[in-house]
Amino acid sequence: MNDPNRSRVLTLTLDGLEVPFSEGETLLDVAKRVGVTIPTLCHDPRLEPAGVCRTCLVEVEGWRRLAPSCATQATAGMRVTTDSARVERHRKGLLGLYATDHPGDRAAAERRGPDELLAMIDRYGARDEALGALSSLRAGRPKDANPYIDFDPEACILCERCVRYCDEVEAVSAITLAGRGARTTISTADGIGLLDSSCELCGGCVDTCPTGAMAEKLPLTRGLRAERELAKVRTTCNFCGVGCQLDLNVDPGGRDGRGQVVKVTSPAPGTTTNDGNLCVKGRFAYDFLHHADRLTAPLVRGADGQLYPTTWDDALSRAAQGLLGVKERHGADALGFVSSSRCTVEENYLVQKLARAVFGTNNVHQCAAT
Amino acid sequence: MAGLVTTFGAGAMTNSIGEIREADCLFVIGSNTTEAHPIIAMEMKRAVRRGATLIVADPRAIWLSSIATRHLQLRPGTDVWLLNAMAHVIVTEGLWDRAFVETHVEGFEDVAAAVAAYTPEEAERVTGVAAEDIRWAARTYAQTPKAGIYYTLGITEHSHGTDNVYALANLVLMTGHLGRASAGMNPLRGQNNVQGANDAGASPIFLPGYQRVDDPEARARYERAWGVPLSPTPGMNLNVMMKRVGSDIRGLFVMGEDIVMSEPNVARLEEGLNRVEFLVVQDIFLNETARFADVILPAAAFAEKDGTFTNSERRVQLVRKAVEPPGEARADWEILVELARRSGGAWALSSAAEVYDEMAKDVPRFAGLSHARLAREGGLQWPCPTPTHPGTRFLHEGRILRGKGLMVPVAYRQSLELADELYPLVLSTGRTLYHYNAATQTRRESGLAAKQQEAWVELHPADAKRRGIGDGDQVEVRTRRGAVTVRAVWSRQVRRGAIWMPFHFAEARANLLTNDAGDPVTQTAEYKVCAADVRRLDAPPSPSFLPGSFYRDRDPEG
Repeated sequence: MNDPNRSRVLTLTLDGLEVPFSEGETLLDVAKRVGVTIPTLCHDPRLEPAGVCRTCLVEVEGWRRLAPSCATQATAGMRVTTDSARVERHRKGLLGLYATDHPGDRAAAERRGPDELLAMIDRYGARDEALGALSSLRAGRPKDANPYIDFDPEACILCERCVRYCDEVEAVSAITLAGRGARTTISTADGIGLLDSSCELCGGCVDTCPTGAMAEKLPLTRGLRAERELAKVRTTCNFCGVGCQLDLNVDPGGRDGRGQVVKVTSPAPGTTTNDGNLCVKGRFAYDFLHHADRLTAPLVRGADGQLYPTTWDDALSRAAQGLLGVKERHGADALGFVSSSRCTVEENYLVQKLARAVFGTNNVHQCAAT
Repeated sequence: MAGLVTTFGAGAMTNSIGEIREADCLFVIGSNTTEAHPIIAMEMKRAVRRGATLIVADPRAIWLSSIATRHLQLRPGTDVWLLNAMAHVIVTEGLWDRAFVETHVEGFEDVAAAVAAYTPEEAERVTGVAAEDIRWAARTYAQTPKAGIYYTLGITEHSHGTDNVYALANLVLMTGHLGRASAGMNPLRGQNNVQGANDAGASPIFLPGYQRVDDPEARARYERAWGVPLSPTPGMNLNVMMKRVGSDIRGLFVMGEDIVMSEPNVARLEEGLNRVEFLVVQDIFLNETARFADVILPAAAFAEKDGTFTNSERRVQLVRKAVEPPGEARADWEILVELARRSGGAWALSSAAEVYDEMAKDVPRFAGLSHARLAREGGLQWPCPTPTHPGTRFLHEGRILRGKGLMVPVAYRQSLELADELYPLVLSTGRTLYHYNAATQTRRESGLAAKQQEAWVELHPADAKRRGIGDGDQVEVRTRRGAVTVRAVWSRQVRRGAIWMPFHFAEARANLLTNDAGDPVTQTAEYKVCAADVRRLDAPPSPSFLPGSFYRDRDPEG
């Protein structure tokens, strides 16, 4: 506690400003905290720094080479510049090389998902630096029959975010770098399909991919609108008890104007309990919402034992009369109310109020009181 | 939950999900976390990657046990022996926290005396876990300050489920691993809103906020609020209610639950449902229960309505309407308001936000919460008594909510149905990553169905061979209550003599097999242990069957 090093405030100079930092922070952490933007591609706060994409290079006084800010620990007295002419020259040249190796078809790219790389190429005016389109030697996995995750080797820049996510966060190590040199690609052991691998289809590779190389299959095959035409509605997942926050991506014109959920994405890492992560159900299991089997009208059982559609007015009157009838004949405690841990807090409150205050019984429960 | 209310004074995770990554020891028991709570499992994986010790206690080998420091593979239903033996080691080796026990705990002496007979050697004989592993687990847990316990239905879905919870709470209280970040006792909730449904009073004994219906003061508060007299008699637990359907229960209202899929021993329930006079089902699909319904009310799904879910860590979070429901379907809360009006209740409630406000005003621990605040600040964890209170990250800080934590001595009781000559195997049931409960939602996903399209039973190759069952053969699983047809999967995940089945498949309902005998306190049914047998049926084996993600020990030579 009385260690003098602990109480001393550590500082460094960032773009001419003296800023404090704490031990263990990288230059990128410090810059983010004080609001200085450094572009990154291979960085994800959930992953250990890899320093492979070189877009976050900065100049440190006295250092011969530019330093990757994501993988460089801050030390006291450092003088760091993020926007020098040298840094900008490097960045533009580097992005030009990436642009050469990346499809320029913006419309196609947007259908796959947000393309951080294209946005960055524009922001730093690096399009002119490109050497003309080169097609990639990286192999894809066109025969992979998995239902959710598509890999486009043309769009990949080998930043390894997907591989590192699969290894460090989901920890199933289903995908890996494979091949050598220009043929290096993202694959699985022996190139098997994801369904046969240890993959749990969490889709974290899609979420973390900065270029759209990893994309969701279903929206692609269904002709999804571009991301900017979709409305994002933040809500809480309806499956297990973790309470992940997710963004329903809604096509407002879908289903004749009733709106259609066409994709689910996770909020940014560090902003909610789930830290940007989702599981296979949270990210991909939304088709049930618009399934043809959904009940669309109240039903009542006729004298012949069959179910018939009816009006809300009729169904509600019958439901009320039926329950009141049982109460009249056998007393309130002959009624049972099964509420649901799948429904909202408000709805559970109303079911118990209905049982207690309207029908007069405490016979109310749900399946999850253990 | 009843167990936690008794011992600590609140039935909820004591820690937050975000604290898991900082824990130094994780004791995971009766929880297949990677499949049932994948995102919590990611936090555990992160802790292990950081160097935390992971102790997994489970009759099955699971994904987490593959990265565990040690896996205590106990026989199904012997948890009390394992936990009491750990307590025995902590007491006899003086590893308990004297200062914490003196200040914060009552009942230590009784428990210390009760566990004296539970020696690790004797525990090894009953549980099958090596005495040395039990000693190691006890020492590791007791001597790591940031040690958390995580459990789910593998602990509670037993006829001695409450005993299991008491035995776990005893370890927490004797070591003082409570009331601090990353140290505590954490039931992981299976459904999105288990916590919220209980918080809201969907319970035969509790009004909203765990106020007892037989407490005159609490009842008077709600009689004033609702303007009607209320019954002082606690109602029926769900398991009791289901057993009395058709006899004492003549009319039933079922919202958002497929009881003929999810309740144990469903053949008996179905007989009862044939005798009820009136059944209303309110759901998003025509589920299996709807076959018995007189009136079916079409409800909106979570993306089509407003409200809140409360997660495992007591965090109340908004559910937002993103699209319109199909056809004439309506939000459950709207239907309930209308149904009440036609049944004689006049509720002036016109939005989910107003419903929340009505509930929160009479429950101090929710009083600081509202939809407007949640929209502004994001999810908040109760207790949150005032509009400026930041919410509570972990419970019992400085003082246990109950006042003093109560240690309850527990004696081992066998599961109600044990293997015998007729039914020599022990069946457990559970959830998989790719489906969810009755699977009315997940089996309507082409992708998830591709991964797991049909039901299966895992059995040990030795047990399979003795019955002439090959990997992938079609088999019949039988118990005293019923039989279902499924695929056999040779698996070294299960112990010899134990079999395991997922409960998601309507054509092979695991709950035709399970035992509806319940825990004496909670009435929770013994889904996790019943006696069973398996026999081969004449049918071609399935060539391309992918049961799940963790079956790498399928050695064809057995």
